[in-house]
Amino acid sequence: MSEKKFLMGNHAIARGAAEAGATVVAGYPGTPASEIVEDYVQYPGAYVEWAANEKVATEIAIGGSLCNQRSLAVMKHNGTNVATDFIMHLNFTGVKGGMVLLSADDPGANSSQNEEDTRILVHTYGHLPVFDPSTPAEAKAMIKDAYELSEKTELCFVLRPVMRICHARSIIELEPLPDKLREPSLENDRSRYVMSAVAEPAYGGTLRPVIRHRWLNQKQEELSAIMEESPYNWIEEGEGEVGLVGCGIGYSYIKEALEIAGKKLPILKLGTLPLPRQKVIQFLRSVKKVLVYEEVEPVVARMLREIAYTEGIEVEVLGRDNFLPPEGEMSATYVLKSLGQVVPSFKDDLPFAHEPIPVPTRIRSQCVGCPYRGMLHALKTTIRKNKGIVTGDIGCHDAGSFAPMEVQSTIYCMGSSIPMAIGMAKTGIDRPIYAMIGDSTLFHNGIIGLLDAIYNQANVTVIINDNRTTAMTGFQPHPGSEVNVRGEEAPYMHIDKIASAMGAKVYYIEPYDIEATKNTFLEAAKEPGTKVVIAKAPCFLRSSRLGIKTFPERVVKVDPERCNGCKVCINDFGCPALIFKDGKVHIDEATCVHCGLCADVCKRGAIK
Amino acid sequence: MKLNLVIAGVGGQGNIFASEVIAQYAMKKGYNVFGTETIGAAQRGGSVVSHVRIADGPIYSPLVPQGQADYLVGFEPMEALRYINLTKPGATFLINRSQVPTISINMGLDRYPEEGEIIKTLSEAASCGYAIDATKAAAQMGNTIYTNVILLGALSKICPQLEPEGILEAILGRLKPKTHEANRRAFALGQELVSAPEAKVL
Ligand code: SF4
Ligand code: SF4
Ligand code: SF4
Repeated sequence: MSEKKFLMGNHAIARGAAEAGATVVAGYPGTPASEIVEDYVQYPGAYVEWAANEKVATEIAIGGSLCNQRSLAVMKHNGTNVATDFIMHLNFTGVKGGMVLLSADDPGANSSQNEEDTRILVHTYGHLPVFDPSTPAEAKAMIKDAYELSEKTELCFVLRPVMRICHARSIIELEPLPDKLREPSLENDRSRYVMSAVAEPAYGGTLRPVIRHRWLNQKQEELSAIMEESPYNWIEEGEGEVGLVGCGIGYSYIKEALEIAGKKLPILKLGTLPLPRQKVIQFLRSVKKVLVYEEVEPVVARMLREIAYTEGIEVEVLGRDNFLPPEGEMSATYVLKSLGQVVPSFKDDLPFAHEPIPVPTRIRSQCVGCPYRGMLHALKTTIRKNKGIVTGDIGCHDAGSFAPMEVQSTIYCMGSSIPMAIGMAKTGIDRPIYAMIGDSTLFHNGIIGLLDAIYNQANVTVIINDNRTTAMTGFQPHPGSEVNVRGEEAPYMHIDKIASAMGAKVYYIEPYDIEATKNTFLEAAKEPGTKVVIAKAPCFLRSSRLGIKTFPERVVKVDPERCNGCKVCINDFGCPALIFKDGKVHIDEATCVHCGLCADVCKRGAIK
Repeated sequence: MKLNLVIAGVGGQGNIFASEVIAQYAMKKGYNVFGTETIGAAQRGGSVVSHVRIADGPIYSPLVPQGQADYLVGFEPMEALRYINLTKPGATFLINRSQVPTISINMGLDRYPEEGEIIKTLSEAASCGYAIDATKAAAQMGNTIYTNVILLGALSKICPQLEPEGILEAILGRLKPKTHEANRRAFALGQELVSAPEAKVL
């Protein structure tokens, strides 16, 4: 008996894994993949965790797999970078229980600090098979199949949904969950699971890594045969000599575009890597030109050119490296516009659309009432005074690097703030260096940078914004939250104890006290060596939703007589509840949460 | 039957709730539904846009393509303007007149467009338009939380494919019974506001 539900893609994916009987699920939060792990908690018999980082999550998943359980590691694209070291080993060892690595890409970087294509890391580099879904329903079917195929081939399968799959909502058919889950068991197989340069007598003394590499290479043929029969690849007939290749969501945009145009062109729909070579050959032979629509990099376009070359097929392959716009997210309009340049009749099929209008952008900022607005303001005034430099990290506080605050000079990837600060400090530059990092990021891998700073005696002040949650991605707990993914009590990692055990001098600040915070920042920077300043204040948004008060309320008003319109409270602080109108500041009563911080910011005493 | 809706607003206005209500309603009617939202910075006052697509046949992509939206709903007026390129000739727009300035507008780096300008520009892309102050009406009811239900009431009045009874039922189905009475009033208020002659701006 099946049931239909309106579900978000991520929930459909979790359901698919549950229907396949996955019992070990680990991930690190990252938009657009976070909901999968959270949602999995509802499925009975599964161990689910928020791991400290993506490499750890992947390692946990394979631990489960070696004990003959089906497992799932969940991350977003840049998390896969972190896990790559391990991926480059698990591809050689293979798996026991079915394993799926889910890495969600964010074409267009709607909620990411970079744009990248997971397929390159896991397939081109790691030689693992990939499923690239075109709809949420297909993603669900794919993850179920991936578990079967993973056990059949002994390889970890990768599901690579893009943001428009993860966050799409559609009607999904639910199938039953398994009645019985497998018992765990471990069978030793050291020739696989011990990765080391040992000579294998059975192979004439060839070193084990070379044998496993050979195994992985030989697996590609088996995979190719599987993909040839795969239900996720097919050809649709159409008119003309221009063919369209749609990979994953690219196929959906093609179908949409052709429906708008009311035309039928030959289509090759691809959802797997490796490619179904024979299908590709058949398609390439049937046309003169193909346009390849794929997110994000021209991975398949280049493979098609290679196939055409080796098979001696005369066909022009237009992809994101030689014709289509190479950056940003695709859409049906993207398909129609590019087709218009190749098939002239498509020019008339572009539906009329009003030109986009330049509208002021909404720059992300901290929430009204966020503790970090006070901290950022204090830091901004500090570095104005002592010429300090701030390296930043990922998290809500990163918005302090945008206008109007512009505090952090750098933001790269998770955990990079502290090592970058070490590098800067060690140049001998005559300016105080601050590294700013959040708690979740500290546990993710920032702690290693901190250890390095202390060991190498770097003159760096590390500011740790301890808000007890991974706020940026929707409040997932971490080792400093005292709870786990199920909301159960969990051991608490004391950041201050860890830092002082490593040998750092620890300061504490109360970010709602701007003056004291500023003084601590100034003082800490004068001390030699690595100092840690802990700004401990729970995330306001999360607390307010839970009905927890995090500051004593101070109802404040602007005295229009005193306000001279200097805009310090706007430009150097920027609470969204402060509105500047007719040369004066006004408080928007509907949004103000009475934290009272603005009263401390206005040096004219105009806010009381 | 084919209906493409775009609901644009800022974080915290409840436009995802609104899109889910519409989807739930359409699914109950036996239609196919597909949609998505951009929620990246929803917590911190960023733009939030939801796409809801309803049809009695296949729907291929979750995004409403350019020039294909039948209804453009602005929970915030300037946010409606941001997605003007999605509207189909002959489309209808509905905007909430309450403005939410951006930080750069507060800083004086950007200018919030005049309401007249917004309506005039939207009118170039649509053939029918309505404007009501849902936030103000909600505040008068005692809580701006009703803004989205007021707008849903208004939308169901001007969009024949969305029957008011069904939409209201879908709304109440997602809310605690003790809030039903107030939300019924909010819904009716939206219908009333949009029916007033001054609400019809195009
Ligand atoms: S979510 Fe929490 S930590 Fe993030 S900006 Fe809002 S209040 Fe601050
Ligand atoms: S409230 Fe104070 S800080 Fe803000 S503009 Fe007026 S005088 Fe300047
Ligand atoms: S008291 Fe001031 S800083 Fe705090 S929320 Fe209200 S306006 Fe913003």
